[in-house]
Amino acid sequence: MSSVLIKNESRLGLKLVAPAVGIIGLLVIYPILFNLYLSFFDVQLNGSKTFVGLDNYTELLGNPRYYHSIGVSIIYLIGTVVGTTVLGLAAAILMNQTFRFRNLARGLILLPYFAPVISVVFGWQFIFDPVNGIYNHVVVDVLHLTNERENLIGNPDSALFVVILFDIWKHFPIAYLLFLAKLQSVPKDLYEAAAIDGQNPWGRFWHVTLPELKFVIATVVLLRVIWNLNRFEDVYLLAPNVETLPIFTYYQAFAGIVDQGAAAAISVIQLLVLVGLIWLYVRKVLKW
Amino acid sequence: MSSVILRNINKSYGNLPIVKNLNLDVKDGEFVVLVGPSGCGKSTTLRMVAGLEDITQGDIQIGNKTINDLPPHKRNIAMVFQNYALYPHMSVRENIVFGLKKSGADAATIKQRLTDVSEMLKLNEYLDRKPADLSGGQRQRVAMGRALARDADVYLFDEPLSNLDAKLRHHMRTEIARIQHQYNMTAIYVTHDQIEAMTLGDRVVVMRDGIVEQVGTPMDIYLQPTNTFVATFIGSPAMNLIEAKLEGEELVFDQYRIPAAKIANVDMHSLSAHDTVLVGIRPDFFEDSALSSPSDNLFEFNDIQVDLVENLGFDKEILFKLGGEDAKARLDLRSHVKRQEHISLSVDLNRVLLFDTSTQGMLLNAGEV
Repeated sequence: MSSVLIKNESRLGLKLVAPAVGIIGLLVIYPILFNLYLSFFDVQLNGSKTFVGLDNYTELLGNPRYYHSIGVSIIYLIGTVVGTTVLGLAAAILMNQTFRFRNLARGLILLPYFAPVISVVFGWQFIFDPVNGIYNHVVVDVLHLTNERENLIGNPDSALFVVILFDIWKHFPIAYLLFLAKLQSVPKDLYEAAAIDGQNPWGRFWHVTLPELKFVIATVVLLRVIWNLNRFEDVYLLAPNVETLPIFTYYQAFAGIVDQGAAAAISVIQLLVLVGLIWLYVRKVLKW
Repeated sequence: MSSVILRNINKSYGNLPIVKNLNLDVKDGEFVVLVGPSGCGKSTTLRMVAGLEDITQGDIQIGNKTINDLPPHKRNIAMVFQNYALYPHMSVRENIVFGLKKSGADAATIKQRLTDVSEMLKLNEYLDRKPADLSGGQRQRVAMGRALARDADVYLFDEPLSNLDAKLRHHMRTEIARIQHQYNMTAIYVTHDQIEAMTLGDRVVVMRDGIVEQVGTPMDIYLQPTNTFVATFIGSPAMNLIEAKLEGEELVFDQYRIPAAKIANVDMHSLSAHDTVLVGIRPDFFEDSALSSPSDNLFEFNDIQVDLVENLGFDKEILFKLGGEDAKARLDLRSHVKRQEHISLSVDLNRVLLFDTSTQGMLLNAGEV
C-alpha cells in the first residue's frame, strides 16, 4: 500500500475510535485522576480539602486493619479462584459427555450466574441462619454432627468461608462456559491419536485436554483474580463482617469516621496492583 | 508384527448397518488396502481394528489374541489419521516419540528410533518446530513418523494422503511402499483412491455398502473383477460396459458381431442361457487398428466416430459411442486420431470380460465360479 493510503487509513481509524476514547476518558480516566488527587488531601464531607502530602499513605501503611484486610483478600482470592476454576472445569468436562437431557443440564448450570445477587444472598442467609436455617437443622438435628448451633455468617472467621463458597457457587458457571466452549473445539482425533499412542483416559486428559485448555485456564484465573480483587456486593451483602480490601476501603470512605482521603489512597495502591495484573493478561495470556 | 483376523464383523448404528458380515485375514507382514466409495464402511472397519469403534457382532484378533473388548491404548497399534491429529502443543520431536515413550522404550532406543524416522522422512531440520509452523506435506510426514517410530503389532492408515496435492501424494505413496517393505510391517490402509489401492496393496479389498465385493491381488482385481461394480471402480478411465444380444454364438450390438467362443474363460453352455450380457472392455485394451499387429484373437471395431480426443502426453483418451453409450479408449502417442475422424479400434478378445445383465456378476466358465 502506498504511504498516502496508509496515512488516510490511520486517520480514519483515529476518527472512528475517538468517540469511544472520549467516553472512556470521561467515565474512567477522570475519576482515576481525581482519585489520585484526593489521595494527597484530607477530605471533609462538606467538600473542604487540606493538602497532607503522603500522610494518607503513611497512615494506611501503619494501620494493622489494612494488612488484615489484605490477608483476608488473599484467602478470598485463592479460595474463589481455585474453587471456580476446578468446579468449572469439572462441570465442563461432565457436560461435554453425551447423555440424556444434556442440553437441559447445560442450561441449568448457568442459573446461579444469572440470578440477581440480592435474592440469592437472602437465600444463603436463610440457609445458614442459626435458628431456622437448613444448615444447622441438618448438621445438628438430623446428622447430630455437633450439639451446638453455629452462626457461621455471624462469625467473621467462618463467614469468610461461607463467602468463598457463595462466590464459587455463583461464579463457576462463567468458568464452566469458557471451558466448555473450548472443549467442544478440541478435535476428536487428538483424543483418538493419544489413545492409539497408549494413553488411558487420565493420560488423554493430561496430554490433550489440559494443554488445549491452557490459554482458557490462564484467562479464567486472571480474569477471576481481577474481578474478585474488586468484588464488593457479594461479600458486603452476604457477610459485611468479612473485611476484604474493597469492604475495608468502603468502611474508610463512607462509614464510621469518614476518611475519603485514606480510601482514595487504598484505591490508588489497589489500582497499581490491578494494572500489573492487566499488563500480565495483555502481555502474556493474550500472546499465547 | 502380527496377523490380523476379522471374523463375521457386523457394525450398525442403531438400525443402520454399516459393515455387514465382513471376513478378512491379514497375514503377518502383509499390506492390505481397503478401497471403496465414501460410506462403504472401510474407515469404520479400520476404526474397529483400532478400537475406536465398538464391534456390534463378530471377532477381531491381532496376533491370534481376541481383542474385541480391549480399549485402543492396550492394543499396541499405530495409526496415521486423515487430518494427521498432531499434538499442537508439542514439537515435532515430542510428537514422534510420544507413543514410544509411553510404551516404555529406554532412552537409547527412543533416540535411535527418532534418528531413523527423522532421517527416513527428512524431518531433521523441523524437529524443534510446532505442527502449526509446518506445511501440509511436512505435517503428513510427522504423522507418518509418529506411527513408524512405534514398535506396533499393526499399522493402520486412514486415508493419509487425501489432503496432499497430487505431486506430493505420489511421492509419499512411493515412500510408504518403500518403508512398508523395508520393515515388513503388517499394515491396513484405507483409501478411496484406486491408484493408491493398486500400487500399495499386496492385496486389495474392494468394499461397497458395508459388503466386501472382492479380495485379491491388485492384478486379480484389475483383470478378473467379480462384478461390474469392481470392474468400473478399479481402473481409470472406468471399464466400458456394453449391453449385447446373444445370437447363436455371437454377441451383437451396433453393427458388430463378436464371436463369444473366442473370449477367454467363457463356458458357451452356460452362456446360452442368457438373452443379453454386458461386454466389459477396459479403455486400456483398445488399440488403434492402424498400429496393431494382426492376430486371430483380435476383434476390430471399424467405423468408430471419434467424438473427443483428450491428450494426456504419452496417452490420449478417445471418446466415442459404442452400443449407444459413451465409451472411452486409451491410445498411446503413436496414434494420431483427430476429433470427428472415423477410425478402427482393435481389442484382444482374451482381455474382454462378460457380465450377467441382471446379477452384474462376471460370467466365467463353470469350474471357476
